Amino acid sequence: MYRGLSIEKLHELLVNKKVTPLELTKEAIELAKKDSNNAFEYIMESEALAIAESLKEPEVNNPLWGIPFVIKDNMSTKDVPTTGSSNILRGYVPVFDATVVAKLKEAHAVPIGKSTLDELAMGGTGTSGHLGTTYNPFDRSHTRLVGGSSCGSAAVTADGIVPFALGSDTGDSTRKPASYAGLVGFKPTWGRISRYGLFPFAPSLDTVGIFTRSVKDCAYVLNATAGRDEKDMTSSVVPVHDYVKDIEKFDKKRKIAVIQEILDTITDKDIKKAFLDNINKLKESGFTVEFVHMDTKMLASLFATYFVISCAEATSNNANLDGIKFGPLSKGDTYEEVMKNARTKGFGELIKRRFIIGSFALMKENKEELFVRAQRNRRAVVDKLNEIYKEYDFIYALAAPSIAPKIGESSDRLSDEYLIADNHLVLGNFAGLPSLTLPLGLKDNMPFGVNVMGKAFDEVGVFQLSYEIEKITGLKDLVAKGEQK
Amino acid sequence: MEFEPVIGLEIHVELKTKSKMFSDAPVVYGKEPNTQVAPLDMAFPGTLPVVNKQAVINAIRVCHALHMSIDQELYFDRKNYFYSDLPKGYQITQDKRPIGKEGYLEIEIDGKVKRIGIERLHMEEDTCKQLHFSTFTLLNYNRAGTPLIEIVSKPEMRSGEEAMKYVERIRSIVVFSGVSDGKMEEGSLRCDVNVSIREKGSNTFGTKVEIKNINSISYIQKAIDFEVERQKKLIESGEKVVQETRRYDDAKKETIRMRLKTDSVDYKYYPEANIIPIRLSDKFVEDAIASCPELAESRKERYIKEYGLNDYDASLLVSEKAISDYYNELTKHSKAYKLLANWVNVDVAGYLNKNNLTIEDFPLSAEKLAGLVSMVEKNEVSSNQAREIFAKMLEENLDAKSAMSKLGISSQISDESYIKEVVEEVLKENPQAIIDYKEGKGRAMGFLVGQVMKKTQGKINPKLTSDMLLEELKKR
Repeated sequence: MYRGLSIEKLHELLVNKKVTPLELTKEAIELAKKDSNNAFEYIMESEALAIAESLKEPEVNNPLWGIPFVIKDNMSTKDVPTTGSSNILRGYVPVFDATVVAKLKEAHAVPIGKSTLDELAMGGTGTSGHLGTTYNPFDRSHTRLVGGSSCGSAAVTADGIVPFALGSDTGDSTRKPASYAGLVGFKPTWGRISRYGLFPFAPSLDTVGIFTRSVKDCAYVLNATAGRDEKDMTSSVVPVHDYVKDIEKFDKKRKIAVIQEILDTITDKDIKKAFLDNINKLKESGFTVEFVHMDTKMLASLFATYFVISCAEATSNNANLDGIKFGPLSKGDTYEEVMKNARTKGFGELIKRRFIIGSFALMKENKEELFVRAQRNRRAVVDKLNEIYKEYDFIYALAAPSIAPKIGESSDRLSDEYLIADNHLVLGNFAGLPSLTLPLGLKDNMPFGVNVMGKAFDEVGVFQLSYEIEKITGLKDLVAKGEQK
Repeated sequence: MEFEPVIGLEIHVELKTKSKMFSDAPVVYGKEPNTQVAPLDMAFPGTLPVVNKQAVINAIRVCHALHMSIDQELYFDRKNYFYSDLPKGYQITQDKRPIGKEGYLEIEIDGKVKRIGIERLHMEEDTCKQLHFSTFTLLNYNRAGTPLIEIVSKPEMRSGEEAMKYVERIRSIVVFSGVSDGKMEEGSLRCDVNVSIREKGSNTFGTKVEIKNINSISYIQKAIDFEVERQKKLIESGEKVVQETRRYDDAKKETIRMRLKTDSVDYKYYPEANIIPIRLSDKFVEDAIASCPELAESRKERYIKEYGLNDYDASLLVSEKAISDYYNELTKHSKAYKLLANWVNVDVAGYLNKNNLTIEDFPLSAEKLAGLVSMVEKNEVSSNQAREIFAKMLEENLDAKSAMSKLGISSQISDESYIKEVVEEVLKENPQAIIDYKEGKGRAMGFLVGQVMKKTQGKINPKLTSDMLLEELKKR
């Protein structure tokens, strides 16, 4: 009954007592139980119902009051199993809530479940979690990926089970699946939302992410989650804003840059045309959109740079998973054997590969050539972005070069299209910038999206521009059609 | 061939802070295992480090005492390795940018001052404690995350004695500055020694042997002296020193091999991204230094200059912070500085020695002891009486007055005008004794003192009495 409704709409119904949090939660849990996309690690039935039941008097000025949501399973939830979709954490029940979860609970939103991910958030396909592939709800025949690593959160939002879900974003793990699933997918400025309780993949790149089905809904969620946290020294003291208040007041004097070289690598004519048409519409409506340039070689280096830095950080960040303190206990005669057995059994092949690459990049004899060089290149890329941001306020691009790929379909990983158009969203992680993906169009009934990336801490601007783009495309509140199988 | 030992020390000091280096779990000793633990200390996924401000203040104080240049931008790195006592699989430490660089401290060897260079001082966190059994190991995370500083000397020491004095000085600094308990026996000060020998005058270094787990200051000298001899013998007999880690066995009084050192471990250091570089303001650094409790050197100087103590007494007082603290406390109640020092260094020290106690366990408050010393100073009791009173005070934890009344000792009258009055009275009554005295009869003086005592029931100060008598007799 309430499936697919926005936070804004549900809030109106709740305040007018047309529906209660308990009714909403019950429906969401029913839908979650019927989920056929392999989107859930754990459904928090009893926990959610207890919270929902306690919510009696509607809070008129709190748009998240009574709203059900889903949490990516790499965020610590007190007394609720949290696996990171990895066998090494099977049975792990945290003793504390991630700050972002705690804040949403304080806002009286209702967490109803934990969603699947690529194992420990490493991966972009949504296929490497210990429960297997998570499917794209826009393709009920289960032939297409929803993308990752926040696959489950993308799927449940696109399926209309909840109006918002938490993801995380290290390279594009929220914003890419958003593009494949017709969603708004947002990563804030690094430090805007506390990372306390988010399982670290690569802390210098990691942020919490937000999935919604409209730009305004996303701003509501940021309002409740942004801000300094004493538990996270990297969380920023820059004052937070009301990100909803002035969302309709975009200042058209602000300038939008489109990087020509990213666009040039896209081969899908329909998608490219849709983007160019959209730019024209923006221009016609009085927006300043201009093409800027970035060295193709630099763009083509993004993926390798990202891979070296993120794998190096990942190998260290997951060294705590040794089978001694939590997760399944392994046998062994020495501590080395215990650790080896736990890690051999506990990790999937893909992330073992990443650990080896990361470890290799940090070895004394390779560190300068790989890790330090990657860091240096990251700096050079950030410098280049800063140069663009001297003249422009936003960088606008297609979020991905294609609709959601078919499962098993492989792309040429050395083509410029893959290296650049499929990986440029990592620019936002390199520089820690706020970046939002929203739907631009549909092709073969599958959505594809665009991305707005703003200056650090200009979340207000990013939401304002995205809101304008959403008005032009008319694509909001998209919910995957067809019944769940 | 004449050999020269080359010795360098790495000292780990556990900092005495309320909470751990990066978590809010308390730092306390002797609690039930695994009760002083925050999620971070067990490396629960998603926990983040928050730098302990007091630990930084402590590190700055030690840097300052060691004349080091202080890096006002704090950087932390990760040292990556797998071990069962290392919860996170890495240790947060400072690799590239230690908080302190290039310092020194001075030790005295045979009356000569020698300066020992210090390479670096960095902050890091402790591991958890392991208890090994034959078929299993127990882990106690209470210690995990305790703040540490590591002080790395240059290889500039040339004997076990120098190394021992160096450690003594470091210990004095960290204890007096309130930074640490500095107890080697309890592991709050841990010392790894690197020893090699080379031909005297050579500029190259010999093969280095590391001695770990030395748990008392006196063993440092013994371990090094043994190790130097061992290496000498090896070389003299044509053998080679191998790179290895040894430990000191204090029962056998020798160093024993723990393991050979193969290729050095690659710790894959890289910057800790969860702590962004922290800028320390000039004021923060200045305040940390200015608020540092007075160190031993400065206390000693003050004792000598302001209190008029001799070098020996002053040195004894500052050999332990708690003793010096007790002495400082005494000086708040009495200005008889020398006498107080004597009492601490002789009587108090004697009592502690005899009963195998430390000053922390000394039963008498500074106020009580100062009360007794004041009476000695004013000649209200003789020193023999004072010792008797002291013993009674300790026995029943009394103040001086109560102890005296229990012992039936009454205080001597030292009121000079009163004594003078009695003296004059006695002289008037005994003219013959005056004559006897003038004629050089020795017994006359004794007789006169006796008369004074008789008149005052012996409560009068005998020394003052005879002084006064002499003076009065001169006038007649």
